[in-house]
Order: sequence, then structure tokens, then C-alpha cells
Amino acid sequence: MPFLRSCHRLVALMLLSGCLANTLHAGTPRQVEHALGKEPIEGEPRRIVTLYQGATDSALALGLEPVGVVESWLERPMYRYLRDALPAQVRYLGLETQPDLEAVASLAPELIVGARYRHADIYPLLSRIAPTVIAETAYDFKALLELLGEATGREAEARALLAAWHARVADFRCRAAARLGEAWPQRVSVVSFRGDHVRLYYDGFARRVLDQLGFLRPEGQQGSHWGIKLVSRESLPAMDADAIFVFMRDDAAVSELHRRWTSHPLWQRLEAVERGRVYRGDPILWSMGAGILAANRLLDELYAHYGLHDETREGEFTSC
Amino acid sequence: MSRAVILRAVGGRLSLRLERRTLTATLLLALVLAASALASLSLGSQATAPGEVLEALIHPERSEIALVVREIRLPRIVLAILVGACLGVAGLLLQGLVRNPLASPDVIGITGGASLAAVCFLALGGAALGEAWLPLAALAGALAVALLILALTGRNVTPARLVLIGIGVAAALGAGTTLVLVLSTDTTAMRAYVWLTGSLYAAQWGEVAGLAPWALLGLPLAMTLSRRLDVLALGDEMAIGLGTAVRGTRFALLLLAVALAGASVAYAGGLSFIGLLAPHIARRLVARGHAGLVPATAIIGALIVLHADLLGRVAFLPRDLPAGIFVAGIGAPFFIFLLYRWRR
Amino acid sequence: MLNTPLTRLLGLALAAALALMAGVASLAFGATTVAPASLVQAFLAPDPGSVAHLILLTERLPRAVIAAVVGASLAVAGALMQTLTRNALAAPSVLGINAGAMCFVVVASSLFALRSPLALVWMAFLGALTASLLVALLGRERGGGLSPVRVVLGGVAVTALFVSLAQGLLIIDQEGFESLLLWLAGSVAGRGLEGLKPLLPFLVAAAAACVLLVRQLNLLILDDELVKGLGQHTGRIRLLAGAAVIVLAGCSVALAGMIGFVGLIVPHMVRALFGRDHRWVLPGCALLGAGLLLAADTLARFLMPPQEVPVGVMTALLGTPFFLHLARRRSLAP
Repeated sequence: MPFLRSCHRLVALMLLSGCLANTLHAGTPRQVEHALGKEPIEGEPRRIVTLYQGATDSALALGLEPVGVVESWLERPMYRYLRDALPAQVRYLGLETQPDLEAVASLAPELIVGARYRHADIYPLLSRIAPTVIAETAYDFKALLELLGEATGREAEARALLAAWHARVADFRCRAAARLGEAWPQRVSVVSFRGDHVRLYYDGFARRVLDQLGFLRPEGQQGSHWGIKLVSRESLPAMDADAIFVFMRDDAAVSELHRRWTSHPLWQRLEAVERGRVYRGDPILWSMGAGILAANRLLDELYAHYGLHDETREGEFTSC
Repeated sequence: MSRAVILRAVGGRLSLRLERRTLTATLLLALVLAASALASLSLGSQATAPGEVLEALIHPERSEIALVVREIRLPRIVLAILVGACLGVAGLLLQGLVRNPLASPDVIGITGGASLAAVCFLALGGAALGEAWLPLAALAGALAVALLILALTGRNVTPARLVLIGIGVAAALGAGTTLVLVLSTDTTAMRAYVWLTGSLYAAQWGEVAGLAPWALLGLPLAMTLSRRLDVLALGDEMAIGLGTAVRGTRFALLLLAVALAGASVAYAGGLSFIGLLAPHIARRLVARGHAGLVPATAIIGALIVLHADLLGRVAFLPRDLPAGIFVAGIGAPFFIFLLYRWRR
Repeated sequence: MLNTPLTRLLGLALAAALALMAGVASLAFGATTVAPASLVQAFLAPDPGSVAHLILLTERLPRAVIAAVVGASLAVAGALMQTLTRNALAAPSVLGINAGAMCFVVVASSLFALRSPLALVWMAFLGALTASLLVALLGRERGGGLSPVRVVLGGVAVTALFVSLAQGLLIIDQEGFESLLLWLAGSVAGRGLEGLKPLLPFLVAAAAACVLLVRQLNLLILDDELVKGLGQHTGRIRLLAGAAVIVLAGCSVALAGMIGFVGLIVPHMVRALFGRDHRWVLPGCALLGAGLLLAADTLARFLMPPQEVPVGVMTALLGTPFFLHLARRRSLAP
């Protein structure tokens, strides 16, 4: 992973300040503020249980090895992009909706990471098992990384990862602007084909990443609502934009629907289609990962789609 | 030789006549329930010996598994028992009220009302208020629907009308629930779907405390009303002849059934079938007469939910699956078998 | 009530006109506005370059055809069921037949990864058959007849059974759940005519059975004793009509998912107009059922644009007041 290597290099640079901060923390518990309250955490917890995918992603990014994780929804039991980084003896705790609490307790974790939308009702139990931090939303991978860094005493690493991310974002914006000229910033649509409908995302993990990169949302796709489900090919014009990002899972029914929709003349008439600006994305990265690693891989995809030279991969943070 | 036992209380004003067979069956059932609860307390994704479990119950400070036993398993088991008992008895009351063995809270829309309220609560960002309000929203939905059904039924609460109107209302509520599900985000829809199926996952003492008053008031009340159910079973004319205020009794029974069912659905989600199944099994085990049926039904309902939840917890480890799946999956075929036998 | 053959014929013509109007509306209205002129042109002189023509021919026409077929099937199935069970509240959705078909399809597609349309259709039939047998079993009274309230309650119990089984399967599969949610809600949108093709032989057979049985069905309304006295055996008629119900309901579910209440409302409207003679009731049901679903589907496009309300939700919301009205009336005989 070239990107990770570069991150680690940067992390090494910033470790000095980090070490200093950590030694200061030792002894007195830190008050870590999260979505459902404040949690006193002592030292640097290493036995970590992550209860949703974004947390697993972020923990691995910080170089932590979770002792327990929940099953993924696709590529079971764990997304391939995270699978290799997980320790072999990691314990799977069942589904994200109802993780096995006894197993969590038996792992004797030092820290549990959950998300408000899934774990608000079990938070009281979780916090009795171990110190627990809860992320506010599923989309904000930066806030999650900071929260996790603070909770595990790895603020420095978290900061370094975010700095690397911001550097990449700046690099991408600058290169995209240089390459596309007048056509930048582009208005883009995020579309996902499903078995019986098509989704047009107004908000979500991928949309937030695209926002940071400077992509715009087409008119009519503004609101804070997650998006809409389209069922009739007649609604195809609703997804028109300068570019369309498409993701879907590998499934016979989905491919059939995709074939039906993309063979329709209205699809052919979309501006993005006419200009050849329809890009396929990995469904895991675009909708399921929701962590800093997924965000960086998503950005890798974008560099490739736009044919931009990704110097940040070599670890040189030259803004172009 | 007398085959019945008569229990008297409150200076003889309250008396219950119970057959020997009923008493034996009830006692046996209670024993089975106690044994099941103990077994359930010892089973989980972490194997624990019954001895350790007892140790954790009696001397929590000395036990390493006190948290697992006392905070994770025990409240869940207690809630399962309460929910099962309430739903079973609610079904029994409704069946007696409607004089039809196929009525139950989910059939006449009480569960549907709670479901729509809960799903709306989840989809419209009720989580911002705190999940603790979810049971209240669901309960309010159940009560509102019961009132709506009563209003629609009009003055003559005839059983057939009540059921049919309940079914119609349930269908509209189901459509509303579907609409909200279709419009909400995936995670909300999934959360709502799990709720609709019915799950006791991560039950905590707070929830037990929320349901307990309803159960502790409602179940004894059902016992005291049981004789009126017996009278209603004779038919309206006979009941009136025996001096029963049929309409008032029906109203009181309906309200009690709604309260029991609404409260349990509020804490456990849209569990179905228990209200249908438990009374049927009870009728096969104990002698006729509601005084014996109420406790038997309560215990059987508790047994069903307890075992369904146990299956959900341990059958597909590490997955912890909603009890509702198993209640329907096992209960429904059994129910159909019962009906088939009954035909012969 | 229309009493003479002539007025009834006129009534049928009127129903046909209504269905046609609903069909035209379903073609004319949608996310993109289509000028009335191009509506005609698209059929007489289709221009592959015109967006309006494309939308009409590739999207709205197949959708309208499917809505019409599903609406007609459900309404006729409802009429047959009401006659068979002698119950005014019988309909495929009320008696759990839709739920049975739905559950079997969900099991086939999520547990056994069956995806071919024909396999799913057979699963839908099997589910519809299972559900109807169960309901018949639960609804039978000691004497042997079907009790109206027992039948309805049995239907609700069977619905609860199949719906919770399907729910259980979908809970462990978030992706499958997302993909099936709209179909579960009932929708005729986005279906192509190729999905209709494998069902045509079944639908034609069911229609043929209805045509052949139309006179005998009238016997079923009569008293059992009377029929026996007339020397008629109703067993075979019941069996054939039951098979037609299962095929019609199974096809509808396979095509459009869970659409409720069309099979309940339409037969009542038709009987109010034409009386109880099946020679008039069945064609009337087919026409008005098609018209009603076409209208509901058209309306569903406008409530929350650009999103569509699933048509199954629309019919349930429209149908409930009607169901309640029926339930409040005393008599439950059709």
C-alpha cells in the first residue's frame, strides 16, 4: 500500500510530539467527549472492540489491532480491503445490528467503539463492560479518527493521518483544476444500482468525501436527506451532472437492472454519458467502509478516473 | 371426592375455583419455566457452568462473570418472561372477548399501531430525543389505534365487527409502516425492521422496570376478570341473563388486553404469534375456565418467548438474532398443527 | 343497479372506457411531460430519435400493460375468492395468499439464490397454493362450511406467519433487504414486458378457466342443498376456480409484489353495478381492476416527485376506508 507507507513516514515525523503528549497523559484519566457523553480513559487502550465498519477501518489506520470486530454486510466476514490488516485471531462478534455482548465482555476490552445510529440503546451496557466511545454519525470519518485517536492516546497518529489526507485533498483539487480548467469544479452525481431500484445519493460517506474534494452537487440534489430511490427509467434525467459515479455489487439481478437502465436512450442522452464521464467505483469503498482508509482508497480511484498523477502516493507533499 | 380446589381471598369476595388437573399442570409449567430460566441463564456465547452462574447471582463481587450473568443475561430473561406472559394473556383476553380462538393483538391491529408509531419515531429522527422514548411512542401508538378501532366499531361492540375493523386498520397501518420504511435510510430501515420482527437483544434493567408495573398490575387484574370471561363465553344473551353488563365488561377487557399487549410490544418490538399460540396450548393442558387459563397462558407465553430468545442468542453464534424470527418460525407450524388436530 | 342485458352491456362499455382513460393517463403523465400529440404519434409513427416516444414506448407502455394485467388478475381473483368462500371480505391480500407467494419468493431468492423469473413464478404459485390450503384448513367449521370470520382470521394468521418468516430471512441480509423492500411494498414500476412473457400461458389458462366456468360459478352462490338437489357437483368447479385464483394471485405477486385491496374493492363495486351474475361480474372486475391499478399507479407518481410511492401502499391507503365501510355493515355475504 504505497499510500500507507507515506502516511507512516509522516507519522514517524510527528511521533515526537505525540510521545511527549502521551507521557503527560499517563496516570490521570483523560475525559474523552463523544456523542453520548464523556468517558474517562486511562493510558493507551490496546484491546479494542469495534462495533461498526467505519470504526474497524479507522482503528486499523491508526495501527491498532482490534481484538473483536463485527461482521461486514458484504464480502463476509470482513471487507477484503481490511481483511489482511486484521490480526488472524480477531474475534467476529456477529452482525452490526446486534453484536454479541457476552463475547464483547469475554474479550475484556479496554475500549469499545460504536456509532450512535446503531448502538445508542446498548451504550449503557457497553460502558459497563469497558470504556466506550460513540461516534455521532456514520459519515464523518475525520471526527471518528480524531475521537479514536484521543481515546487510544494516538492523537499524533490521528493528526498525521488527517494532515496526510488534507495534503492529498489539496493536491487533488489543484491537479483537477489544472487538468479540467474551466470545467472544474464539476457537478457530480453518486448513483448506486440495486436489485429493484436505483439510488441517487444526496448525502452519505462518498458524498461527504466528494464535497471535501471540491466537487459540487447538482441542483435538486442539495437537501440534507440521504437521497432518493428511483424506480422508473423515466427519472433518469434526475441524475444528470457533469460526471456520474456509479457503484453496485456483483449480483445477477443488479447487473440485469444496470443493463436495462444503461441501455435506455435516456441514459445515453445524459450529459455525463455523452461525454464519457461515468466512473465505476468499488461499492464497499463508496458506501460501506466509511473510514479514513476507505476515503483514501476512494481518492485513489478518483486520481485514476481523472488520469491525474498522484505524487502524494510517493510521499512528496508538493502542492502542484 | 372433590376434583377442584377453591381459593378464597379478600374475605371471600374473591374466589377462584381451580380443578386439580389445572393446578398440577400450572405447577408443572412453572417448574419448567424456572428450569428453562436457569438453563437460559447458563447458556450463551460464553459457556458458564450453572455453579458459576449461581455464584455470580449470590456473590457478584466474587464472580468474574457477574456482568454477563446479572446485566446481560438476567434482564433479558426477565423481560422475555414478562413479555411472553403479557402477550399470551392479552391474546387470551381478546379470544375470550371475541369468542374466536384466532384473535390476537397482532391480528386486530394493536401491534400494527405500535409498529407504525415506533417506525415513525425511528425514521423522523426520534433518536435525537433518546432511545428511551421509543417504548412510549410505541405504547401511545397501540393505545391510539385501540381507541380508533373502538370509535369505528361504534356503540355495538360485536366481536365480529371488532375483529374485522381491527384487521382493516391493521392493513392501513401496515401500508403506512411500509411507506416510512421505503423512504428512510438503510440503517434506519434495518433498525426499524429488526424492531418490527421483535427482539429482546440487549434488554436492560431499565426496560424490565418499565414493563414490570404493567405486568404486575395487568396479570392479576386478568385473573380477577377471568370469571367474567367465562360468562361472556356463554353468549351475549346468556351473559345478560346472568346479570353481566356485557358492554362494560367488553370495554374493560379490551382495554386491559391493549395495555398488556401495547406495553410488551413497546419493550420487545412487534413479536407476533404469542397471543395466538399460548392460549391454544394452555387450553389443551388445563381444564376449561379462565381462572386456570390465565396463569397457564402466561407461563406458556413466557416459555415461548424465553426459548425463542435463547435460540436467537445461541443457535447461530456469533450472530445474535431477533427472537421474533424463532417465535414465528417454530410457533406458526406448531399453531397450524394444533388447528389441524383440533379439526379431527 | 343495471338490470337489462342492454344496460349491462353499456355498463361494461363504460368500464372499458374508464380503464382506457386510466391507461391513457398512465401513459400521458409522469416525470417528463409528454405532449398529447406525441402520445398519438408515438404509436402511429414512432420516431426512435424522440425522447418522448422512447419514454412512452419503452417505459410507460410496458408499465401500463403490467399494471392492467395485475389489476385485472387481482380483481378477478378476488371475485372468485369471494364466491368460493361466500365471504365479502375475501381477497388474495386479506387471506394471506399474496403473503404466501411473497414468502416463497423471498426464500427462493435469498436462501437458494434462485433468480430466473420462471423459477420465481413457480415459487410464487407454490406459496399461493400453500397459503390457500392453510386458510381453507383454518377457516373450515365443524359442519364443513367456511365461516366468514374464521376465514378472515385464518388469513391474517397465515399472513403473519409468512411475513415474519420473510422478515427473519431479510434481517440477516441487509443488501437483500434493500433490494426487495420496494417489491415487498408492491410496485409495477421498472418492470419490462419480458417479465410478463413467461406468465402469459398461465394467465391465458386462468382466463380460459374463468370463461368456461362462468355459468357454473353462479351455482356456488346458491345454497349447497339446492345445488345438490339440482344434481350438480360443485367439487370440480371449486377446484378449478381455486386453481385459477392461485394462478392469478401468484402471477400478480411475481410481477408486482404485494398489492393489496384491489381484489377486495373492485368485486364489490362491480356487484353493486351488475348484480351477482358472474357473466357480468368477471369481465367487469377485469376492466375496473385494470383501471383502478392504472389510476393508483399514475397517482403514485405525483405524491412525492421525483420519488414514487409504491403502488401497493397507495391501494392499501385507498382501500382501507372501503374495507372499514364493509366491515361496519352487518351482513358479510357477498
